[in-house]
Amino acid sequence: MKNPCQQAKAPILAVEGLAVDYRLRGSSLPTIRDVSFEIQAGEAVALVGESGSGKTTTAMAIAGLLPPNAAVSGGEVRYRGDRLPIDDDAAMRPHRWSEISVVFQGAMNALNPVHRIIKQIAEPCQLQLGMSRDEAIARARELLELVGISAERGRAYPHELSGGMRQRVMIAMALACSPSIVIGDEPTTALDVITQAQILKLLTALRSQLNLALILITHDLSVVAECCDRVMIMYAGRLVEDGSVADIFANPKHPYTKLLIESIPNPEHGKRMVRPIPGDPPTLQHRPSGCAFRSRCPSAMPVCATEVPNLKRWEQGRVACYLHPPMKHEEKALANA
Amino acid sequence: MTKLTAESRRHLRTQAIKSFLRRFLGHNGAWLGLLALAFFLVLAAMPGALVGPLQTAITATGDFLIPPSTQHLLGTDEIGRDVLNLIVHGARTSLTIALVSTVISLIVGITVGMTSGYYGGRIDAWLMRTTDFFFVIPSFVLALVITPVVLEVIGRGGDILGFRPSLFVIILVIGSTSWAFVARIVRSQTLSLRERQFVERARVVGTNDLNIMVHHLLPLLVPQVAANGALVVANAIYTETALSFLGLGDPLQPSWGTLLSLAERAGAASSGAWWYFGAPGLCVLIVSLGFVLVGNALDDTFNPRRRAIP
Amino acid sequence: MAGSLQGGRTSRRIGHVTFRAILTLFMVAILNFLLFRVIPGDPADMLLAGARNSVSAEQIESQRKSWGLDRPLIPDQLLNYLSTTFQGDLGYSFKFSGRRVADLILERLPATIALVGVAQVIAILCGVMLGIYAGWRRGGAIDHVVSGTSLALYSTPPFWLGMVLVLVFSTALGWLPGYGSYSPSAATADLPDWLGDRARHLVLPVLAIALGLIGQYVVVARAAMSDVVTEDYMVTARAKGLTSGQMLMRHAFRNALLPVVTLVTLNLGYIVSGAITVESVFAWPGIGSLTVEAVNGRDYPVLQGVFLLLGLSIVVANLVTDLAYGILDPRVR
Ligand SMILES: Nc1ncnc2c1ncn2[C@@H]1O[C@H](COP(=O)(O)OP(=O)(O)O)[C@@H](O)[C@H]1O
Ligand SMILES: [Mg+2]
Repeated sequence: MKNPCQQAKAPILAVEGLAVDYRLRGSSLPTIRDVSFEIQAGEAVALVGESGSGKTTTAMAIAGLLPPNAAVSGGEVRYRGDRLPIDDDAAMRPHRWSEISVVFQGAMNALNPVHRIIKQIAEPCQLQLGMSRDEAIARARELLELVGISAERGRAYPHELSGGMRQRVMIAMALACSPSIVIGDEPTTALDVITQAQILKLLTALRSQLNLALILITHDLSVVAECCDRVMIMYAGRLVEDGSVADIFANPKHPYTKLLIESIPNPEHGKRMVRPIPGDPPTLQHRPSGCAFRSRCPSAMPVCATEVPNLKRWEQGRVACYLHPPMKHEEKALANA
Repeated sequence: MTKLTAESRRHLRTQAIKSFLRRFLGHNGAWLGLLALAFFLVLAAMPGALVGPLQTAITATGDFLIPPSTQHLLGTDEIGRDVLNLIVHGARTSLTIALVSTVISLIVGITVGMTSGYYGGRIDAWLMRTTDFFFVIPSFVLALVITPVVLEVIGRGGDILGFRPSLFVIILVIGSTSWAFVARIVRSQTLSLRERQFVERARVVGTNDLNIMVHHLLPLLVPQVAANGALVVANAIYTETALSFLGLGDPLQPSWGTLLSLAERAGAASSGAWWYFGAPGLCVLIVSLGFVLVGNALDDTFNPRRRAIP
Repeated sequence: MAGSLQGGRTSRRIGHVTFRAILTLFMVAILNFLLFRVIPGDPADMLLAGARNSVSAEQIESQRKSWGLDRPLIPDQLLNYLSTTFQGDLGYSFKFSGRRVADLILERLPATIALVGVAQVIAILCGVMLGIYAGWRRGGAIDHVVSGTSLALYSTPPFWLGMVLVLVFSTALGWLPGYGSYSPSAATADLPDWLGDRARHLVLPVLAIALGLIGQYVVVARAAMSDVVTEDYMVTARAKGLTSGQMLMRHAFRNALLPVVTLVTLNLGYIVSGAITVESVFAWPGIGSLTVEAVNGRDYPVLQGVFLLLGLSIVVANLVTDLAYGILDPRVR
């Protein structure tokens, strides 16, 4: 936002045509397909989609953290222009945590229950940055103060902290090696509303203070408005829309995005019932032909059944839908034939 | 949900059983285990038809301690009895002891666990303290000291409920000392089930406690109990074998453990009579491995853990 | 503030655990007392039968008094029994006429401790390592071999394993002795030979007990490790850039150890029965052989003494593992 010229030139992270498959009982299930996007330094991007749409898988693929039964079957990820070896554990190691770090969803489970939190924060400083033990501990204490926990609490074990505190510890840990990109995988989902707001505020503050690029994963579109610049909407393993927060909220283009926004409970309209999107997303095993959303889409056309719509530039953002740009008559006839 | 017809309920049940079988039989271990158990159950069901009546010192058909031959497939023991004959009859004794004592310990364990979890409070505290005792002190240790005393009291002659006294006592002692494990599992399950809505509803309608426990809770405990029951059987076989090996079995109706004890006394290992102690030991190994495999497969089927690689 | 709270919780837990141990021990003693009285015949006759031949009438009389056998069963006799037992007076053996049960037990104890101790140490080292490795590399060839073998070992009665070992290594190959704890010829040899002889006698019985235990430890450690590797904190460790060795040593190992520690207590029955039966196979002059002799000779005082000893060791072992668990897992401290 600060420097639009530079932004356009050198993205800090570029994902191109990413595809991920899960192997399950001998069969290979296409899970992520054709995911491409770029992120500028210091930019905050939200990745939004229903549970099961592949947000975590995308994030884990970018960070090179896919489980053993998953494989990157296409595409690449570039960090400052250099290709990241995301499918090679050993080669990926030097890049981990010092370039991209992750704040995981359930901090209770993401922290090791048998170690003091200070030790867990200091660990990457020692191993990745080669600090001595004392230096690493000193750094960890600083980080704790930075996220609003007194350094003395560092001696606590994860189970002795509240959910919000644990999430703060996760954030402190994610900042340990001064990464340029932090991925937050539903960092606030397990928390109550007030704590949720505090954690998001903390993330936003730290982002501008440290000039971090933030990829915030969430299934809750209402979280996005305050703390992100841009939103990417994911459906059944594909990006279906990408645009600035203002654009998306004011003028959503994909029918799925529209329904998502309509389903946000709006306090100004009184206690109107939240209307969930009718129907279920397709399962991994049964991905339909054409557009995966068409069975739930109010404006599905015959062409949607045959051909997967690509994510194309449209106006300020990108969208993957045959409604945009609106097809001319003869094109439609051709496509439907 | 409450208005399910009998028809659709039956349909649901067959569906559930089918899906259970599909997952259960997906385990190689389950197949192996079931196969082994089926084989030994057949042996135990009709030993007389397979190898004739149990041989004694008088009806023994062979020479002393001869190695396997076409006439005696598994050789003979030190008084000329056919080892195969002894093993097949031993299958009946060993499996009877293991299965009956398991039934006893499941009944005790389920009763104690369910009562404890359902009523809570003081009943729970006392029952659990008792359970703790039986949990901490191993069944084998209790059986080791209780069995000889009880045998002394009731004598070794005659029979009780169709069992010879030593077998009866062993069954009873193993059954009544190895239930603590089951009781703990059942209690924790009951504790969580008690809070469910259907129990509340049944209570509001005025169903009595016994009825709720038997008709509403018990069916839901079956998976856990079945998976652990298989391990209880394996343990019972093991305990029985060890007790009989120490001479607490019945020499007139030898189990595999008693055979091993006889073989040990005859110096089978140091005289190289491998067939004499090899066969009963292998039988114990295969049967308890069978139960362990089936138990593991059941456990995996009922509580699938989220493992990246199964 | 937080520290003192923590300290209070820990000492309360230790108090609770110790109380439970004492309660269990108390119940063992009561069971022992009651069982004894159930046997037909006058308890005084029973108790003193073994001593009768070699102990003088006055001694019997004084013993009778000190046990309070002329007073009511409960509470007098019970209290008396508890207090004499507490002082280490376990009565006289029937079979080893006139010998004090406590002396018999103390005499046999070192051999058993050596046997079980060595077997346990070997089993924990090998079993836990193998199990943790198999769980870490689960699904691989080594895992299949290790866990298959362990399941089989776990299902094998250790005394049978002992018989097989005697057959192979003693009877057939003649490499190792399969009987007793020393050779009479080496009893007077100088130290190195004496030690070597003892060690050679130890090999097979230790192996018989240890192999079964290894099976158990492998099965549990492998299952524990397979659960640990799917935990979220392992993903965190990987994300932080730890090598797989660092992940194993710093994050997985201690968590996988927790269920293994619990197993050790669940496992005591197996260890006890294994030790007793294996001793009987090898004529190892320990508690196990004493037990077998007592069972076969209906030597109840000895059996009761052994039961008390087993109860005591089990309760102590439970106590130790409970406290060890507290050290390993901050959540229960
Ligand atoms: N380890 C795994 N093995 C097999 N399938 C998985 C695994 N993890 C996730 N999946 C499947 O991949 C899809 C996407 O999952 P995920 O990326 O976790 O979605 P999200 O984070 O958006 O909820 C889901 O259908 C899920 O079932
Ligand atoms: Mg997710």
